[in-house]
Amino acid sequence: MKKKLVSVLLTAALMCSVLAGCGNSNSNSGSSTAAADTGSAKEAGSDTATADDAAPAEAEVESASADTGSGDGKYDLTLYTINSTDEDFNDWLANVEGATGLKINVIAAPTDSDTRQQKITTILSTGDSSVDILEINDEMSASFKNSGWLEGLNDTVMTEDIRGEFPQGYMADMITDRNGQIVGVPGYSGYLAFWVNQEIMDEVGITSIDTKEDFVKYLEAASGDGRYGYGGSWEKTYVFNEIAQFVNMFGGDYLDWTNPANKEAMEFFHEMVEKGYTPIDQIADKYEQMNPKFNDGKYGSLFMWGLGTDYDKAGMLGADKIHMAMVPQFSDQRYIFTDSWSYVLNAASENKDAAIKFLQYMASEEGMKANYEAFDRYPARKDVAEKVVPDTDPTKEMYSRYANECVVKGRPMLPQTMEFISAMGTIFQSYMKDEITVDDFCAKAQEYVETYNK
Amino acid sequence: MISKKSLQWIAWVLILPVLLLRGFTTIYPILKTVFNSFYDIRILSGINEFAGLSNYVNVFKDQKVITTLKFTGIFVVVSMFFHVILGVGLALILNMKFIGRRFLRTIVLIPWAMPAVVIGMAGKWAFNNDYGLINDFVRRFVPDFQLNWLINTGSARAAVIALDLWKDLPFFAILVLSGLQFISSDIYEAAKVDGANGLKSFMHITLPLIMRNVLTLCIPFTLWRLTGFDLVYSMTSGGPGEDTSLIAYRITMEAFTNLNVGYAAALAVLLFLVMAVFSWFNMRFMSRFGD
Repeated sequence: MKKKLVSVLLTAALMCSVLAGCGNSNSNSGSSTAAADTGSAKEAGSDTATADDAAPAEAEVESASADTGSGDGKYDLTLYTINSTDEDFNDWLANVEGATGLKINVIAAPTDSDTRQQKITTILSTGDSSVDILEINDEMSASFKNSGWLEGLNDTVMTEDIRGEFPQGYMADMITDRNGQIVGVPGYSGYLAFWVNQEIMDEVGITSIDTKEDFVKYLEAASGDGRYGYGGSWEKTYVFNEIAQFVNMFGGDYLDWTNPANKEAMEFFHEMVEKGYTPIDQIADKYEQMNPKFNDGKYGSLFMWGLGTDYDKAGMLGADKIHMAMVPQFSDQRYIFTDSWSYVLNAASENKDAAIKFLQYMASEEGMKANYEAFDRYPARKDVAEKVVPDTDPTKEMYSRYANECVVKGRPMLPQTMEFISAMGTIFQSYMKDEITVDDFCAKAQEYVETYNK
Repeated sequence: MISKKSLQWIAWVLILPVLLLRGFTTIYPILKTVFNSFYDIRILSGINEFAGLSNYVNVFKDQKVITTLKFTGIFVVVSMFFHVILGVGLALILNMKFIGRRFLRTIVLIPWAMPAVVIGMAGKWAFNNDYGLINDFVRRFVPDFQLNWLINTGSARAAVIALDLWKDLPFFAILVLSGLQFISSDIYEAAKVDGANGLKSFMHITLPLIMRNVLTLCIPFTLWRLTGFDLVYSMTSGGPGEDTSLIAYRITMEAFTNLNVGYAAALAVLLFLVMAVFSWFNMRFMSRFGD
């Protein structure tokens, strides 16, 4: 009898637990989010090489709310985001929901960049309508913009009245498709800024690095005794930014390796290694290795994304220590790269009206302000940055100078982005190690441009 | 009277869910991979068309894959060679009687218990010229020592193999140790009485008796080396260039980063064949050895 009773009780308990899983977990009225307060996504994507490896410091959380389709009436739209674990994300979401009147279902994108890209590619390429808005980086933009997977926004969001306020070079290079349709709303503006160590500059008596000659002088003066005038991260998937930056500075074209200026830029790199102005050791370095070296005074200058969080953490950020400087002018003009993560609209979305409303907010002054306040993302719109960013923010002056004095471009990318980046990095390393000549490098590079531009 | 045979259908019905599940999770992916390997599937370019054997032909023209195959061969052979030599050596040490033997047997397994990705990331720092503990250690004896292990082909490959050994060798040794413990001490005592010294005992008693055990261990350990990718992924990303890229790493990159699904499938099928041939060869060898 006792056994029977126990059996009945256990069976009942089992049934209850099974049935508990059948309930609708969407009974909560608020927005659903997979966010976990584990970190911050500040400077997301900006302090990375292939743009996103180190980007969001978020836990790998898949959707905690995936049981609602975006079209079931519970939510107005579904957002696939890299920011959900930022400590201010919930405040940001409440702000957006309040301002737009939309109920937003949030799905956290995976932390790992390859996994994230794979998932987003799968969603878009299969016409999956369960996600309406996605955040994508430049690599993905380059791959997807002409695929037809993203909705054009010229008439609805990126209208003529605001289009001019965004960085034009970036818009043209990164998020405009071949039909002239803008397919994304840049979530912020980041620059591949030129950083210098003021202590070293003072020590060697150099006051400014304005031209190529100044730069070489600085390299010469700052290098020696285990210190280098210039440092970088030349791991094969990271070095792409620097190659493209120097090619630009020399007035070349990254996608045309028959251009003599490209060759000149490569020879300049080689000369820096040969003369001991920059170490060959950095072939193994990513940003995580480069930044401590910069903080330790091993490098006199470098190019880097972001607002200097790593230098700040080490107590090295400041006008008398490590700070941003104007990009030196090597040729006819000053050039600088900008990057962003853009909000895009899935062409398969069944909630386009709501999605457009969301994007309109993201492109507006209020939306950009919300992003700046929550995630420290520098507003992509010039006019908004002018109004929203306080004058006390040291970034403002330099970013404003970059915008006004430099030719601002998006990074040159091809549809097969990652393959192209990796292939270029590989031959760059070979050239720096004297395994191939500069002519071999240029020939190979041109071959890759043609191969991966299909 | 109902015969046992007529009730067999009940058994089939009972195991059918498992068969279906297994079929869906193992056989279907294998068949699908083979199928995909005959197609040119490039997701980013929106291409999905029949390509016949061209993916297989391209494998042998692709410099990245050729370099990868070379290093995979070196990695497997060198790593397994040292696994056997050092693994047996370590097992012999762990089989000796000394104070703290149990403690040593326990802690020696710590590297094996750590995730390969974590070890790879730690390895990236450990072999760094400026901040690495390897050079820090060497500089205590050679103060001017300078070497960034991960920038040159030879040293980067050596570093990857060394780290792989550091991680998995103790596990190999512990498994060899289990074989050693089955050897009766009476045999050694008899040999001693007959005048055999330590070396002779090892060559004529220990080695023959653990050989089958070691060879058996070589099968999974070799297959793990062939399919390993996480160490390289987190430590060198296959660099410098493609010099430390392993075949499983190459497949992962083609499939999940470059999204060249057809090409990745062809590489995976070839790896599958290599592993199947290796296992068959090894088992044949073992059965002959056993005879």
